[in-house]
Amino acid sequence: MTGSTLLAPAASARPAAREEGGAPAVAPVDILGHGVFSAAGFGPEAIAAAQSRPSAPAGAHGDAQDGVPAELPGEGWPELAVRPVTGFDPVAVLGRKGLSRLSRTDQLVMAACTLAADAVAAPAAQARTGLVLGTTVGSSGAQEVFFRDTFVQEYPYLVNPSAFPGTLMNSAAGKTAIRLGLTGVNATVSGGPLAALHALRYARTALVNGHADRLLAGGVEELSAASAWAWRQSGALHPAAALGEGCGIFVLERAGAAGAGRGVLGQLLACETGYADPVTEGPLGVAGRLAAVVRRALRRSGLPADEPVAVAPGAAARRGWSAVERRALRTALGAVPADRLVRTGALFGETYGASVALQLAAVLARWQSGAAAPGERAAVLTAVGPDGSVGAAVIARPDPR
Amino acid sequence: MPDRASRRVVVTGLGAVSGLGLGTGALIEGIRQGRSGIGPAEQFDPTGFEHTLAGEVRGFDPAEHLHRTAPERWGRSGQLAAAAGRMAVADAGLDGPAALPDGGVSCFGTTNGESQAVEHAVARWVAEGPGALEPAQVGRTEPGNIASAVSAELGLTGEAVTFGTACAAGNYAIGYAYDLIRAGEADFAVCGGADASNRATHAGFHALGALAETVPRPFDEHRDGIVTAEGGAALVLEPLDEALRRGARIYAEVLGYGMTCDAKHMTNPNAATIAECVRIAHANAGVTPGDVDYICAHGTGTRANDVTEVGAVREVFGAALPPISSIKSMLGHTMGAAAAFGALVSCAALHEGFLPPSATLRTVDPALGEVDVVPGTARAAAPRVVQNHGFAFGGNNAVLLLGKVEA
Repeated sequence: MTGSTLLAPAASARPAAREEGGAPAVAPVDILGHGVFSAAGFGPEAIAAAQSRPSAPAGAHGDAQDGVPAELPGEGWPELAVRPVTGFDPVAVLGRKGLSRLSRTDQLVMAACTLAADAVAAPAAQARTGLVLGTTVGSSGAQEVFFRDTFVQEYPYLVNPSAFPGTLMNSAAGKTAIRLGLTGVNATVSGGPLAALHALRYARTALVNGHADRLLAGGVEELSAASAWAWRQSGALHPAAALGEGCGIFVLERAGAAGAGRGVLGQLLACETGYADPVTEGPLGVAGRLAAVVRRALRRSGLPADEPVAVAPGAAARRGWSAVERRALRTALGAVPADRLVRTGALFGETYGASVALQLAAVLARWQSGAAAPGERAAVLTAVGPDGSVGAAVIARPDPR
Repeated sequence: MPDRASRRVVVTGLGAVSGLGLGTGALIEGIRQGRSGIGPAEQFDPTGFEHTLAGEVRGFDPAEHLHRTAPERWGRSGQLAAAAGRMAVADAGLDGPAALPDGGVSCFGTTNGESQAVEHAVARWVAEGPGALEPAQVGRTEPGNIASAVSAELGLTGEAVTFGTACAAGNYAIGYAYDLIRAGEADFAVCGGADASNRATHAGFHALGALAETVPRPFDEHRDGIVTAEGGAALVLEPLDEALRRGARIYAEVLGYGMTCDAKHMTNPNAATIAECVRIAHANAGVTPGDVDYICAHGTGTRANDVTEVGAVREVFGAALPPISSIKSMLGHTMGAAAAFGALVSCAALHEGFLPPSATLRTVDPALGEVDVVPGTARAAAPRVVQNHGFAFGGNNAVLLLGKVEA
């Protein structure tokens, strides 16, 4: 592998000339390393192994309290199947010091970023290196404790002041920057199942516009009793699905910035998002917008509409939205054969703010383990949120050696 | 058509709901007169707090402002953002049917997301148990819905993204929207910030000992902290060529911006990385320190922020420090909306020709050295380039440069 352009037609060092009737082709961004924690275990090997199993367990049902690991935040869990991260040893990565003051979100992000940064040998200037994190709310567990204290303590201000910054969405990104000494662009974006896709799009925009030279970008979601109750009460999960968690962080640079001969795991090509109000435009309107976004992403990636891409849908575990997403994919791509479908719902559970990051991890694991379908040059990741936000990212596969 | 990769970007609409009133006119009039938007907290039960003042939006009935989307779908932050967005679009002369360009994007920053909705959910949980939570109540707690509420209200079909970079988030959102339009990724953006007054944020700053006894006094010798506040601020951004073509009123040009992260401490600001952020913003905007006529400060009114902020700009500007003032002296700290309010007021300052005041100042802190903080009321002036600061917990710094577009 040369580390050079994977899909020649899309390649251009600068935002290129406009395509016919559409937005310009995108400049590719290299994916140079990653740090991934999920229910399938740590790293691509564990994910690949889980992918190769005939059917992953969907998560234990029944009274979930019995099966909930003690390290997950919160007490009094609802009856809801959960799929916690496995193979996550924060002490091993982060050390013991100060660990108890970090939320689970903080720990997952700091550990994933540390491992992702370590996975890339070439140094980068700390002032030109940054972090872009997608998250739903930050740490739902830390928030629940803090908010509860304002009601149950003798006075409402008798909250733990040192825990206050940890309740904000940018806590994990700020703490990780301190740990890794990264003074470059540090952004946190929200958006439920779009969060990690927003992070990838923000990162590629920041890189292409010269705001940074290297960005650690991805998404996180933590399982807590509070989030489990929210999901339980919302009724938004498929009855057969489990609520998951995880964190996926990817090291991104402008294509070729790493120099010839540097290995890349894949390239982030177009990353497009849009919005259709489900109330005024209905589920079909949302599906139509997602289909349009998928087509635009393929076009801006220099891929033909009939390119035989692998597809990693994001909404499979959510009632109603899975059908919206399936309809959009059928409209945009036709029938996707089973050997090109990258299923992540059963592997990871519903991981919401982390979902696109774990979809990307699953695609990279599929390619690294040699499981790509014949002729598979690229993959499309899709996301659809209950607010009506939709998005698609195109990932190019490295040239086979 | 000029190269889409380097389009100039201008601000053509402003919308605001704040403690100084409903609408941009009320806000700017209040700012010019140095009025206070601070009063007794009403958005949460202040019983038991020692400090009970807040800069809240009073008399806000979202149903009066939202035409297209039902208010109850969204938390108060989303409602404030959507109301401000609706006002900004009307101000830009784009409120008619089908007047908005295709693919418009919505970018909004927030510190606390929908914390008021979370507060209500936790209150119910504490009182009745988690099984009492209702689906709609859960749905209103998602911070990402702040940008979506604006898109739903305005019928926008492009990207809807919410930034969670705390009190710098407004500048992140405006900067990102600027990048999208400049590079041809979008032709129209509504961007800004929003946050809602709530119990947990008030308790957090209370516990940190960061709340002022009465009003915030940025840059004052006896300043003693912030007052928590709320609001929604929105700016309409579009390419200069399109604004000229349709004869739009142009408040200001977005010249550029920069971001750094302190990577030192989660709550204490750091002068060196703030100074570097200013330098990066200047380079991105193509200006030099001598071009900057006014700095709209982060200016929280805490001991640490103001001395660090003035020290940081001194590193960049040397002795030739331009006037620097804080609109938080009037609004309080509107959190994720703060930097967007700063940008909005800066646009008005460029357009109308004034410098916003540090309204509550009595004696400038001698520790800040010689500095013009525009005490009292607004000063008539003709600024051509304005620098807007947004700093945050987590060490997130973002500095935005706005310039006057000559007719």
